[in-house]
Amino acid sequence: MKSLTIEHLQKTYFDPFANKQVTAIRDISLTVDAGDFVAVVGPSGCGKTTMLNLIAGFLAPTGGQIRVDGRAVSGPGPDRGVVFQSFALFPWRTVLDNVAFGPKMRGVPKARRHEIAREYLALAGLSHAAERYPNELSGGMQQRVGVVRALANEPDVLLMDEPFASVDAQTRMTLQEELTRIWEQRRPTVVFITHDVNEAVFLANRVVVLSHGAVLRDIAIDLPRPRAWDVLIEDAGFKTLAAKVLQQVRTA
Amino acid sequence: MSVPRLVAAAMFVLPLLALLLIWQAVVHGFDVSPRVFPAVGAVFQAGLEAMQDGTLIRHIGASLGRMALGTVIGIVTAVPLGVAMGTNRAVSTFFTPLLRFFSVLAGIAWIPIATLWFGYGFGAITFVIFNAVFFVVAYNTLLGVTGIAMPLRHAAASLGATRWQMLTEVLLPGALPNIVTGVRTGLGFAWRGLIAAEMIATNVGLGYMLFVARDFYRTEVIVLGMIVIGVLWLLIDRLLLSPLERATIERWGLVRAA
Amino acid sequence: MSALAASVSPWQRLWSAYVRGTVRHPALASLVPFVPVVALWALVAQSGLFPPVFFPGPAEVVQKFGTLMANGILPAYLEDSVIRLAAGTAAGLALGIPLGLLVGLSDRAHRALWPVLLFFQAIGDIAWLPILLIWFGFGLTTMIFVIVYTVLFPVVLNTVLGVRSVPLELHRAALSLGASKVRVLWEVVLPGALPNIMTGLRNGLGFGWRALIAAEIIVGTSGIGFLMFDARRAGSVVEILLGMIVLGVLWYVVDSWVLAPIERVTGQRWGLVTRHD
Repeated sequence: MKSLTIEHLQKTYFDPFANKQVTAIRDISLTVDAGDFVAVVGPSGCGKTTMLNLIAGFLAPTGGQIRVDGRAVSGPGPDRGVVFQSFALFPWRTVLDNVAFGPKMRGVPKARRHEIAREYLALAGLSHAAERYPNELSGGMQQRVGVVRALANEPDVLLMDEPFASVDAQTRMTLQEELTRIWEQRRPTVVFITHDVNEAVFLANRVVVLSHGAVLRDIAIDLPRPRAWDVLIEDAGFKTLAAKVLQQVRTA
Repeated sequence: MSVPRLVAAAMFVLPLLALLLIWQAVVHGFDVSPRVFPAVGAVFQAGLEAMQDGTLIRHIGASLGRMALGTVIGIVTAVPLGVAMGTNRAVSTFFTPLLRFFSVLAGIAWIPIATLWFGYGFGAITFVIFNAVFFVVAYNTLLGVTGIAMPLRHAAASLGATRWQMLTEVLLPGALPNIVTGVRTGLGFAWRGLIAAEMIATNVGLGYMLFVARDFYRTEVIVLGMIVIGVLWLLIDRLLLSPLERATIERWGLVRAA
Repeated sequence: MSALAASVSPWQRLWSAYVRGTVRHPALASLVPFVPVVALWALVAQSGLFPPVFFPGPAEVVQKFGTLMANGILPAYLEDSVIRLAAGTAAGLALGIPLGLLVGLSDRAHRALWPVLLFFQAIGDIAWLPILLIWFGFGLTTMIFVIVYTVLFPVVLNTVLGVRSVPLELHRAALSLGASKVRVLWEVVLPGALPNIMTGLRNGLGFGWRALIAAEIIVGTSGIGFLMFDARRAGSVVEILLGMIVLGVLWYVVDSWVLAPIERVTGQRWGLVTRHD
């Protein structure tokens, strides 16, 4: 896993409906160390999804630079894996083939890439679903597949765009706990976008609050790991941090 | 074939056999003139003769040959065009109404101008078939590609797909249900265009066989031709199109988008 | 460090105007794309790449349109074609919907008739022309028959689909609320099948107008199809192109602005997903 550096990132784009230029990102500078878990929160329109799309390379910045492990990035690539809110699993491929997709793009032979895929499916407890098609799975299971699909490609940085927003609250908590468990095992560098302040504090060791296209606050989360909901939900430290982050987001 | 399949086949054929019996009974019972409608036996006889002297094979061959050529060229040109247009949002938004217009006009309406441009015969007829398939498939391919949600394309890109891999692993599979629908509809228009064109623009083919028989009041040849046409289309549909639809759309659980 | 791009390029301005225009007037989206096509057409015709006998320009077509409108031929032919299509469609619906209801509701009828319906649909409308010409000659009856035949099958098949897609529970709910079987048909089955019936109508018309044109070409007394084929016999391309454009515009308008919205609205109102092309 590698570090991510964002230097003076800027993004404006042309809105044909308003017939003018719109500034989505004013100026963001951020460093994510290797193995860091950074959650990005902020009110709607603060630019967090745009920032993620810029890091992922789906959009091009109008100013500034993004570096992964010191290398400047442009365009999407396997070094920055993405987990999508809508899961984005390929409906015409089985779960196994979905997870094996990244290795397939790299030219890994079939036997080996299926082996890799099975290994990662086992990590998420999904071995029994390998031959199913995405439309046969529940939302929670689909997103697990989405997460391991990105991980199986061993990206330098893992980008997660509100990945649990489309599942129900109970499943969400389970997925969050699973994510921390996987993260503690593998220690990927993660940038996690969310609306949910509690989710951010639960998962991350740093919470960045964005406001109007720039960084407002950078809050360290020093809660001990492993983290579990039934414990943290009553923990004073957790509640204080969550309140602090919430206050920042609300005044942003 | 398994027992359920055999039973299903029998259930399909039985009502048609019943129809055959009713046909014979009516022709016989009402003493229908052979110039109005043939007896079952006469049609059967005509079929045998036409097979023995090779004319039936010749006509079927001509019709299917034109159909195959026009369809293959149509699909091979239409799908890449549809994909190319579909990948860019602005291009696809702008050109969709255009392609829709031509898709709506495709097929039979081009017969007069086709015979003018290509003269009577193989060229004009194959053009009509190509036309029907090309526009409908291109339009549906365009719809299919634009219907692929952006996150899927982003996901493939962030998993390292090259442009070629994006095409073969995401765009084509994603658009496939719409492409199959397009092929089905296009073939339907093409088949009708074929028969109509063969009635006026050539001297070999099933349409021609039907039309020329009319001049001589040879109803048994006409009815034979109609049955052959029906059977051929059923074969094309059941053996080619339905399995294709089932293997793609239903398996992948995709809803065919607008 | 790059400067913020504050200015708007002329292309962006144009695109913005187009996007905003089509929001306010959706019809623009259907019309504007044809402008470059017509322009290209005019250019190619002008360039002489194809001999004008084969490839006239838009100006000539518009001129011919004016002439044929003025001397009443085009309106008359158009009327003939439209009346035939309308009559055939009405008959097709009148026959097709009840038949579809029967086959959809009765398992016995379904088993007996479904293969027959599929087979006759496979034969296709146009293959009937020769024998129809023997029976009814070159006249209106032949043409109406062909259209009715063409429209009938998509309507029946889709009605059956629609009827069978009405959940059993809706039948039961109606019955347990005191509805008679006839009332169930009228109040539950028909409305429930309506979106599919609309799809069937739309498909049927799509095949139907094509069958009309083929019939007019082959049977040939009047109508747009006849106009085109007669012009072909005289070697006059302009009328052919005119006929094609008239047909295309007419069907495009009817399909996109009348049928598709109705299909969508019935589908949406009933909360059902309909497949539309």
